[in-house]
Amino acid sequence: MFRKLFFAFLTIMLLAACGSTLSVTPSPTAAQIPTATALPTSPSLALTDGLNRSVTLPGPAQRVVSLAPSNTEILFAVGAGAQVVGRDSFSDYPAEAKSAQDVGGSMGKYDSEAIVALHPDLVLAGEINTPEQVSSLEQLGLTVYYLKNPVTLEEMYANVETVGSLTGHADQARTLVDSLKTRVAAVDAVIAPLDSRPTVYYELDASDPTKPYTAGPGTFVDLLISRAGGQNIGNSLTSQWAQISLEQLVVANPSIIVLGDSAYGMTPDSVKARTGWGGLAAVQSGQIYPFDDNLVSRPGPRLVDGLEALAKLLHPGAFK
Amino acid sequence: MSRRILPYLWTLLFLALAALLSVAIGSVFIPLADLWRVLTGQPPQTVSAAATIIFELRLPRTVLVLLTGAALSGSGAAYQGLFRNPLADPYLIGVASGAGLGAILAMSVHWPYSFWGLMAVPAAAFVGALLTVFIVYSLARLGKTVPTTNLILAGVAFSSFATAVTSFLMLRSTGELRRAIAWMLGGASQAGWGPVLSILPYLAIGLGILLLNGHALNLLQFGDDQAQQLGLHVTRTRTLLLVAASLATAAAVSFSGTIGFVGLIVPHIMRLWFGADYRRLLPLSLIAGAGTLLLADVLARSVLAPQELPVGIVTAIAGAPFFLWVLRRAKNQGYW
Repeated sequence: MFRKLFFAFLTIMLLAACGSTLSVTPSPTAAQIPTATALPTSPSLALTDGLNRSVTLPGPAQRVVSLAPSNTEILFAVGAGAQVVGRDSFSDYPAEAKSAQDVGGSMGKYDSEAIVALHPDLVLAGEINTPEQVSSLEQLGLTVYYLKNPVTLEEMYANVETVGSLTGHADQARTLVDSLKTRVAAVDAVIAPLDSRPTVYYELDASDPTKPYTAGPGTFVDLLISRAGGQNIGNSLTSQWAQISLEQLVVANPSIIVLGDSAYGMTPDSVKARTGWGGLAAVQSGQIYPFDDNLVSRPGPRLVDGLEALAKLLHPGAFK
Repeated sequence: MSRRILPYLWTLLFLALAALLSVAIGSVFIPLADLWRVLTGQPPQTVSAAATIIFELRLPRTVLVLLTGAALSGSGAAYQGLFRNPLADPYLIGVASGAGLGAILAMSVHWPYSFWGLMAVPAAAFVGALLTVFIVYSLARLGKTVPTTNLILAGVAFSSFATAVTSFLMLRSTGELRRAIAWMLGGASQAGWGPVLSILPYLAIGLGILLLNGHALNLLQFGDDQAQQLGLHVTRTRTLLLVAASLATAAAVSFSGTIGFVGLIVPHIMRLWFGADYRRLLPLSLIAGAGTLLLADVLARSVLAPQELPVGIVTAIAGAPFFLWVLRRAKNQGYW
């Protein structure tokens, strides 16, 4: 009995001693990342990404893998579409994006083997990717740039320009940003003199019609609704993916209902048929509109499309 | 002699085959010739990224999954012996729920992107798991003894509490929800040898203790009183085995999430085929569990490529029918 205990004790001590030296692993990235050698003709790029990592490229990226649908949209919008060799499963806009190779992304897992086999010189990650995923790709020797989600339109413009300089399309990016600013200014000019600011309920999910989800403060939906001359009733709630009860909705009594979940089969008729919803002003006046949620949920240049669409919905008379 | 060695040979063969499959199969097709070239240090000819894929992705993942499967099955066998209950699995006294709570608490903080920042979630899961076991043990203790019934009840109660808090936190979170769900469903997600090196000491200690206590587990099968009379210090042994099994499970769960089924089913299959002597059952469960999880991982990676199924789903879908088949075939033999 004692012999067994002693033997066990000895083994544990030995293993713990080995283990303590093994478990303090040095940063695993040093050996695997290839040093960036600057080509004599093109300037090398050095940027700091959204995770405060310094990213260097020998030149504009020619083979890009995008891990977020918003990144894909920005890449194609600045003219770097031909340089996109891989994209995540949800990247479906523009249509040409689908011809790039699918590298996974549903259920939060990406196909690292496929990404490595594509030999990209830049992987464009987004906030939808976890820091562990970024670290894994870095350990495989890939250059990863993490594009933080913008909170304002100005930050979105900055992201567009960053992607432009990463891919060698800085001029095109600047032109795009200028045209986006012009369009936003045009909407502002139409909205500013108007008096009415209709109350809007933007529906994200109504699997339970007595407790639906709407966009709260800090989301782009909220920002764009107010920019488009409306008042988001979700603005007074506490979280971004905010749950509102039917009672609160009835008290708020929105004039317009925008169905962000129309991609999942929600129609104005199904809203009218919901019990307890018949008394809402929007239901009685029939102002329930289906909407493409991708226009306001993907933080890219299409946010301006979303702004224009919302403005036309909220103030149809002003945009004849 | 051969009757004693044969089970080990079979299970080791199974493990070797599963490991080979795990290294050879992936979403990128690497022909066996290239695989051989890369493993012997020559440059590959068909797939240029083969060396990176094999050494940085598949080999570390194979080893991590192997260790996880071994830890879960070994602990599962130990728990079944400790509690004398065929339904016991490594998560019985709350390791999974504690790890989940720790992980999601860590995920709600934005850690800096550094070595320790990236270790935050696995470390929190590990600490959460061990803390839960400690709390459950303290709740279940009656003076100097720890009755198994109390342990199970306290474990179930605390698990429910931890799961409820975890669900609440998940509902309140916005951006971290996908990350949390992906973690809960299990699966190896990090590249490189970091995870393997981090869990190796704890697995070595935990599983080492278990392997050395096969005889004690055999004695415990007779009941607490009988075991005490046969010279076993029941409370001390039970505590030691509990700590060792929980240590191994917590380490496995911290990087791979909660993978169910392996810890429950593999020991049963080994018991059906090779008998209930824990001195043999524990090592056999270790090896067979490693092989089983490797096979499940291969399936998870390749069935829907480039999508990757969570491993826990594969183990349940594939494992349940197989276990039922084994059970039906053994229905004539005395089993438990």
